[in-house]
Amino acid sequence: MSPSRKRVDCNRTSLRQRAVALAIVIFSLCASAASVAQPGTVLRLGNPGEPQTLDPHRYNLRLEETLLTDLFIGLTTFAADGSTIPGVASSWQVSDDGLRWTFNLRPDLTWSDGQPLTADDFVFAYQRLQAPATAASLAYFMYPLKNAAAVNAGKMPVEALGVSAPDSRTLILELEQPYPHLLERLLYPTAYPLPKHAIETHGDSWVKAENWVSNGAYRLQEWRPQAYVHLVANAHFNPAPAITEVFYYPLANEQTAYNRYRAGEVDAIATFPSGELDYARRELTADLRTSVQLSIMYLVFNSRVEPFSDARVREALAMMMQPEVLTDKVQRSGNVASRSFVPAMVSDYQSVPGPQYQLDLAERLSRGKALLAEAGFSPDRPLEITLRYISGAEAKRTALTIAAFWKPLGVKTQLHQAELKVHFADLRQGDFQVAQAGWIGENNAEHYLSLLVSDTGDVNYGGFADDQFDAMMASARQEADLDERNRLLRVADERAVGLYPVVPMYSLGVRRLVNPKLRGWNNTPRDVHPVRFLSLEP
Amino acid sequence: MTRYLSIRLLLTLITFWVIVTAVFFLLRLAPGGPFDGERRLPPEVEQNLRAAYNLDQPLPRQYLNYLLMLGHGDLGPSFKQKDFSVAELVISGLPVSLTVGVMALVMALTGGIVLGTWAGLNTGTKTDLLIMGTANIGLAVPAIVVAPLLALIFAVWLGWLPAGGTGGPLHFLLPATALSLPFIAAIARLTRGSVAETLQEPHITTAMSKGLPRQRIIRRHVLPIALLPVLSYTGPAAAALLTGSVVVEQIFELPGIGRYFVQAALNRDYTLVMGVVIVYAAFILLFNLLVDVCYARLDPRIRLRS
Amino acid sequence: MNSRWLREALFGSSLARVCSTWLALMVLAALAGPALSPWDPQAINWDALDNPPSSSHWLGTDMIGRDLLTRIMLGARISLSVALIATAVSVVIGIPYGTLAGYLGGRADQLMMRIVDSLYALPFILIVILLVVVFGRSQLLLFAALGAVFWLDIARIVRGQTLRIRESDYIAAARIQGAGPTRILIRHLIPNVLGPAVVYATLTVPGVILAESFISFLGLGVQEPDTSWGVLIADGAQNMESAPWALVFPALALAATVWSLNMLGDRLRDQLDVQAARV
Repeated sequence: MSPSRKRVDCNRTSLRQRAVALAIVIFSLCASAASVAQPGTVLRLGNPGEPQTLDPHRYNLRLEETLLTDLFIGLTTFAADGSTIPGVASSWQVSDDGLRWTFNLRPDLTWSDGQPLTADDFVFAYQRLQAPATAASLAYFMYPLKNAAAVNAGKMPVEALGVSAPDSRTLILELEQPYPHLLERLLYPTAYPLPKHAIETHGDSWVKAENWVSNGAYRLQEWRPQAYVHLVANAHFNPAPAITEVFYYPLANEQTAYNRYRAGEVDAIATFPSGELDYARRELTADLRTSVQLSIMYLVFNSRVEPFSDARVREALAMMMQPEVLTDKVQRSGNVASRSFVPAMVSDYQSVPGPQYQLDLAERLSRGKALLAEAGFSPDRPLEITLRYISGAEAKRTALTIAAFWKPLGVKTQLHQAELKVHFADLRQGDFQVAQAGWIGENNAEHYLSLLVSDTGDVNYGGFADDQFDAMMASARQEADLDERNRLLRVADERAVGLYPVVPMYSLGVRRLVNPKLRGWNNTPRDVHPVRFLSLEP
Repeated sequence: MTRYLSIRLLLTLITFWVIVTAVFFLLRLAPGGPFDGERRLPPEVEQNLRAAYNLDQPLPRQYLNYLLMLGHGDLGPSFKQKDFSVAELVISGLPVSLTVGVMALVMALTGGIVLGTWAGLNTGTKTDLLIMGTANIGLAVPAIVVAPLLALIFAVWLGWLPAGGTGGPLHFLLPATALSLPFIAAIARLTRGSVAETLQEPHITTAMSKGLPRQRIIRRHVLPIALLPVLSYTGPAAAALLTGSVVVEQIFELPGIGRYFVQAALNRDYTLVMGVVIVYAAFILLFNLLVDVCYARLDPRIRLRS
Repeated sequence: MNSRWLREALFGSSLARVCSTWLALMVLAALAGPALSPWDPQAINWDALDNPPSSSHWLGTDMIGRDLLTRIMLGARISLSVALIATAVSVVIGIPYGTLAGYLGGRADQLMMRIVDSLYALPFILIVILLVVVFGRSQLLLFAALGAVFWLDIARIVRGQTLRIRESDYIAAARIQGAGPTRILIRHLIPNVLGPAVVYATLTVPGVILAESFISFLGLGVQEPDTSWGVLIADGAQNMESAPWALVFPALALAATVWSLNMLGDRLRDQLDVQAARV
C-alpha cells in the first residue's frame, strides 16, 4: 500500500472523530436548549403577539396590558383572584354627589430607581394622557375626569383637568358625571402613575430599557424586538416576588406556541389551536386551563340601511340564531354561548336574554318566515345579505354557520372576509350590512349597553338610534347609587333587546396551557395573571 | 468593464427608486389607515395621531418628506412599534433573516450541486431518475407544509431541536432546512442540465477519449463551465430565499425582518413596510450586482468585450 | 411543428404516463368532480363534523362537516385556473417582449434585457402580498399579479429563440419579399417561438400554484365558500395532529400535481432540446 493511501485513511479516522465530537456538541446544545431556565426564579411566558409599545399612554392591545400589569401599580390593582383591591392608594373617600374622589397614597412609595413616588406623578401622568401632543389612543378611558374630553381635544389647557394634589400623599379626582365604576377604570394602564423625573429627563425615549423606571413588581431589563421582553424584579417593590425574572415571548402563531410549549421551551402560553382542545383535554389535563373572558361577540345590523332599518327583518334573522349550536358543535374552542348582550358573568347585574329564545326552534322559524313575508320578502324575492367577518379560521367557520342558520328562512347569504384593520374601518364608516363584531368589556353592564346609545359615535357600528333607549341610558348615567343605576340600566336593556339592533353570540373562551409546577395561577374573569403572585416549584 | 459596471450601477439605482416610489403610493391606496383598531378613537384623538406622524399633509408632500428622510439615511419612526425606530427594528431583525438566508443558500448550493452533478453524470439512468424525482419532491411540497411538519417531528416528537425562537445556532437549523429544500431541487435541476450539456462539448469528449482520469476532467474542466448558470441563478435564488423567509419566520417565530413585513402590511404601518422593502431590495440588488461582476470576470465573452 | 416529440415527452416512459394520467385526472376532477360528488361542497353537515376518512366521506370531512374530497376537487378548480390564467398572462407579456428584444437586437435588446435582469431582483412575493392587501382579495387581481411576476422567464427564453431564428434563411427570404418588421414579428417570429414558450410555461404553472398556497397561508387567499388547495392546506395545518387528513390530502393533491408538472416539464424541455439539435 502506498504512503499516500495511508494518509487518506488517517484523514478518514480524524474525520470520523470530528463527526462524533460534533454530534456530542450538537446533542449537548440540544440538551441545554431544553433546560435553559433555572427553575424557581425565571419564568418564560408566551404572549400572543409582539407589544407595540410599553408606554402606558400609547398602548392599545391586551397583550401590552399583560406586561404593563407586571411593570406598574395604579391607585387600585388586581388581586390574585382578579378582583379589584387597593394599589398604591391605601384608602379613599367619595363625596355625596359622587363627583369628587379623594385618594390617600401609601407612605414610602418609591420608583424602581429609588426616587420617591408622589401624588404629583399621578397629576403629571393624567395630564400627559390627555395632552393632544401625546396622541394617546386610549385617552378616552379617563374621560370620566372633569374636562378630560375638552383637554384632549385641545379646547382647554391641561391644567383644567379634574386632577389635583394638595400634598404629596393626597390625590383628588373630580368627575364630569357620577361614575361608580371609577375604581375598576383605574385598573387600566391609562390610570397608572408615570415617573415624572424620568420622562422630563429622557422625553419619549424614557421607555428604552436603559432609561426605564416603573413602580410595579418588575422593571424592564431588555426588549429584543420580536424575540422577547425581559423583566426583572424591582428591588424597591414590597413584598419581593418569588419569580425574579420573566421572559415574555411573542408567540403570534398558535401552532408554534403549542409546539414550543410542548417542547418545554415556555412555561405558559396564552392560547393554542382550537382544534387541539379535545386532545389537550385528554392528554394535557394537568396543563390545560380554560376559562371565560368578560366579553361579548355579536352580529351587528346596519340599522341605517334598507332592509335592516326595518326591525322586522332584524328580528327575523335573530330568530334563527342558535348560540349553543355555534359554540358547542361548531367552534368547540371553549367559547361560551350568550343569549344576552350584557354577558351573564357581569356581577351585580341580571342579564336580559333575547325574547326570541322564549319560543322553540320550529316556532322561531315560522315566526321568522312570517316577519320576512311582512317585510316584503318571498321565495321570488329572497332577502340577500352580505355578512362580513374577520380573517381567521374560527371567524370563518362562524360565518359559514350563521349563513346555514339563515338558509331555512330562504335568505341568501354572501360572505365577505377582511383582515381586522379593514373590517373595523368598514364598520366604523357604516359600510356593511351585517357583520361580526366584539367587545371585550369591563365588569359592568353600562360598558356594553353604551355601544347602542345613538351619540356613542362610530363604535355604535350599526348606527342604532332609539330615543326612548337613549333617554333611559341618560337617566341611569345621572345616578350615583350603584344598585339604582343597575336597575335603570336593566330597564334600558329590556327596551333594546326587543328591537334587535344586535344578535349576541358568545363570550370568548380562554384556553391556556400552564406548566403544572407553576403555583398561584388562578382563572380570573379578565384573564389577568400578575406574575408577582406566582411561583415555580423546582 | 468600468463602463459595464457604471451602467449596471445606474440601472440598480433607478430600480431602487422605482421600488421605493411604487411601494410608497401603493400603501397609501390601501383601505384602512394605521390607526383603525378594535377600539374606538374619538376624532380629536385621531387628529392628534395623524398630526404626530405627519399624515395630515398632502400626499406629494409626504412623499418628498420621505425621500428627503431616506436621503439622510433615516427610515423614520414606526407607526405601530412606537418604542423603536424603523432603523432599530431592521438592525435587530436583519442578522436573523440573513443568518437563515445564508444558511439556506449554502445548504441549497451544496445539496443542489452535489445532487445535480451526480444526476448529470448519469443522465437517462435509474440513478438520474431517482435523484431528480426525490429532489423534485422538495420543489413540490410547499414550505407551509414542510415547516410545521419539521417542527412537529424534530421539536415536539423527538425533542432534538428547538421548536422556534432564537437562542443559538441550532434554532436556525429547522428554518434553514425548510427554506432550502425547494432550492436544492431547483439548483440540482440546473446543474444536471448544465453538466449533461457540458459533457457533450467537443473538448470534453476529446479529453475523455484521450483517457485522462474521469474525476479530474470533471473537476477541472466540466464543473467550472457547468456551474456558470448556477452562479447566475444565485442572484434570483438569494432574492427568493430572503422573501421566502417571510413564511418560515412566521412558522418558527424567528425575530427576522420578514415577520415584520406581513404584520406591518396588515397594520398599515407605512414606514415599517417601506423600511423592510427597502432593505430587502437593497440587499438583493447589491447581491445581484456582485453576482454579475463575478460572472463578468468568469465569462470569457463579457471579459473579452471590454 | 411535429407532434411526435410531444407524444414522446408525455407518454414515452411509464413515469411520464403516470404523471400525464394524474394531471388529466386533476383537470377532470376540477371540471366535473364537484358535480359528480354526492356531497354539496358548501353545505354544512351537523352530523359529520371533523370526521376521519370513511366509506361515505372517502377523505374525511372538515371542521364543519363538508366533504373533503369534494372540497379538494373544488379547490383544484381555483388552483389550476389561477395557475393557467397567470401563466397565460405571463406568456402574453413575455412573448411580445422577448421577440421584440431579440428582433431589435443591439442597444435596445441590451436595455430591455437589463430591465428584465433588474426585475428579477425584486422581492416579488412581497409585492404580491402588498397588492393583495391593498386591493383586497379579488381573484382576478391574483391572476394578474402572479402573471406579471412570472413573465420574466418566458421573455428570456423567447428572446434567445428569436436571436437564433432571426438570422435563418426563411426570415431573410421574407425580408427580401418586402415584409415589414411588424409582419415579420407577427407572421414569422412569434409563431416559431410559441412552442418553446409554451414548454417553459408548463414550468411556470407549478410556481404559480405554490405562490398561491403561500398567499393563502398568510390568510390572503380566495373567499369562502370558494376554496383553493392553498386555503385547504392553510386550514388543515391548524389541526395537523387531531385531524391530519385535512392537511395530508390537500397537500398530497398539490404536491403530486406540482411534481408531475415539473417532471413532465423537464421531459418536454429535454425533448425540445433534442428536437432543436436535430434541426
